Amino acid sequence: MTGSLRPLRGERVGVLLLLAPTLIGLAIGVFGSVLATFVLSFFDWDLLSPISFAGVSNYANLPQDRMFSSALVNTTLFSLLYVPLTLGIGFAVACLMNRHIRGISLLRALFFLPVVSSPAAVGLLWSWIFAQDQGLLNSAITALGGDPVSWLGPKVILYSVVSVNVWGAIGEAMIVFLAGLQAIPRELYEAAKVDGAKPWQRLVHVTLPSMVPSLFFQGVLSTIHAFQAFDYIYMLTRLSNGNSTFPTLVFSLYRTGFRFFRMGDAAAQAVVLTGIIAVFTLVYFRIQKKLGAEA
Amino acid sequence: MQNWVKRAVPAAVLLGGLLLSSTALAETELKLMLFGGPVDVAIWEKLSAEFEASHPGITVTVEVNDWDSYWEKLRVLIAGGTAPDVFAMDASNYPDWQARGALLQLQPMIDAEPELLADVYPVSLEAYQTPDGYYGLPRDFQTIALFYNKDMFDAAGVAYPTDQWSWDDLRAAARQLTRDSNGDGSIDQWGLFAELIDMEAFWSSVLWSHGADIVDAANGKTLIGSPEAMTAWNFIAGMVLDDKSIPTAEQLRQFGADGFQAGVTAMGLSGHWSVPDYAPAGFRWDVAPMPKGPAGRVTSVNSAGFTIASTTKHPAEAWELLKFAIGPEAQQQLAGIGFAIPIQKSIAEGPAYLEQQSAPIDHKLFVEALDYARVKPVFRGYEEWASAVGDALQMAWSGALPIADAIQQAVDDGDAVLANAR
Repeated sequence: MTGSLRPLRGERVGVLLLLAPTLIGLAIGVFGSVLATFVLSFFDWDLLSPISFAGVSNYANLPQDRMFSSALVNTTLFSLLYVPLTLGIGFAVACLMNRHIRGISLLRALFFLPVVSSPAAVGLLWSWIFAQDQGLLNSAITALGGDPVSWLGPKVILYSVVSVNVWGAIGEAMIVFLAGLQAIPRELYEAAKVDGAKPWQRLVHVTLPSMVPSLFFQGVLSTIHAFQAFDYIYMLTRLSNGNSTFPTLVFSLYRTGFRFFRMGDAAAQAVVLTGIIAVFTLVYFRIQKKLGAEA
Repeated sequence: MQNWVKRAVPAAVLLGGLLLSSTALAETELKLMLFGGPVDVAIWEKLSAEFEASHPGITVTVEVNDWDSYWEKLRVLIAGGTAPDVFAMDASNYPDWQARGALLQLQPMIDAEPELLADVYPVSLEAYQTPDGYYGLPRDFQTIALFYNKDMFDAAGVAYPTDQWSWDDLRAAARQLTRDSNGDGSIDQWGLFAELIDMEAFWSSVLWSHGADIVDAANGKTLIGSPEAMTAWNFIAGMVLDDKSIPTAEQLRQFGADGFQAGVTAMGLSGHWSVPDYAPAGFRWDVAPMPKGPAGRVTSVNSAGFTIASTTKHPAEAWELLKFAIGPEAQQQLAGIGFAIPIQKSIAEGPAYLEQQSAPIDHKLFVEALDYARVKPVFRGYEEWASAVGDALQMAWSGALPIADAIQQAVDDGDAVLANAR
């Protein structure tokens, strides 16, 4: 199938020419920075004094780094909840939205709205909802006779932060899944019906196998988002000294590099972060390939 | 690749400049960079216009950034070899920049003008002294005082703070003023607004006035775990965790960062920088000196200043600009916006500072505070040390760790930073 799409010799120059603006932009803006970050992770540099080679010491020191280890734990816990919830709820919403009823476009738009809203503004709204004393949520709880909950306190903060981020990501997952759902041929469902498959069986045997590519695509995206999560977390948990009550890897990386004059250490953290995301992505692809082969 | 761009852009600018210079005379262009807000933009553009008028042949470009972006941008500009000629400095961060060779030695120029610093408060100069002279000079200073909301005191029937107040008096009043005024079961008015992570506005003064010290950077020792300090910490923890008369960061987030300005706390500890913010408040307020501790009354003094880039191509002109910025004329105008206290005695003790129309309070109190003020610690690695200590303190204020454990962690983490920075 790929053979027919391969450009002919004469066309290659034209293709390259058309791709050039994007490729040059990527080369300078993305690959250049990625390479620079990788190289920098083996050096000590404070931006002001001359740079010096550090070997692997920046990596060796990471486990003892005060901020890095707790940030890694927070980010991992966050991802373990965020990714399955986003995929699960996004998939459920997409199935519910995949029908032709009056006002379906409006409903879909409503679910998508958080994705296109400014995280700073929406984050502020959430901080009012979660506020301890005058917050919306606690007002409702006390009105019903319950005790106010410290939503952004140390015990519950993980769940509060995950909820807001999942809420913000459902729209995106829904769009990807909707596209996948609508690409499933109707004949498959009709055939299953004729064979006497119940709705639940149709979901497991028709919908899910067809959705494997969409699920994995969204899985990779959500994992990347989880490890880079910042906007909402910043708005909900920031402290006056640049730290957060729920510091994630992005906080640790930013403070190490731009606040503490330790660019090499920050670069090493960034490389480790990239490594983790790359491992997850590879694992996803492997599983997908295996599932694809079985199907 | 980015280096290539960095080199190419100045080259293009230079080429363009050469083409244009056939018509224009050689002018010295200085760049002045500061942290601040819109008020600062207006006043510094006005001041730089005055400077240009009295110094023909020099043009000044002013760039003002907010506090956070300022420090990032400064790092990147210096690293990229395009440092501003003159730029604002904060005393706490000064050693980090000075020790890395980013700042020009000003001592020879100061030696040439012995009268230059004659009228400047000596304590404001302290932070900028290094073993081989000055690499920066202060432009203003800040002491901390107690602000109080007269309306809330009157409503609660509590007597106003006096200059005889001790920390225990403050705590008792704060407890009386912490209340649930609408009866919905949660506190909506607190006794005191105090920054609990950064040391400047509150905890440094409490520690000092209990006879404790904060840090001995030269020997790599964080001193906030001493028995005297623990008495002070237990006092603060009593207010935050037992009395709940100081709102936590989480509680404050719903009102904006400053609880006193938001009108939800009866008292606030802050510097003169808050006066313009509080002036338009919808309540009556006044100021009192910092309360006394067992070891006397202590407040914190900190100063912002100006430095010159060590790489500037125009050191002589940059020095003229710096002198102008800290000189009487500029100080007079800066006193008018009311954020900080001028470093020139003649101005701080004159009408420009003492009689500010927008806020008819006892401005002299902030100057007299110098008699019992201690300089906020400055040393190399300050920012990372302060972050390490602040992160540990936050664990205590959020209830995640008991205060004694949090302080132990602050000392351990602080010492680790100091060991790396030396």
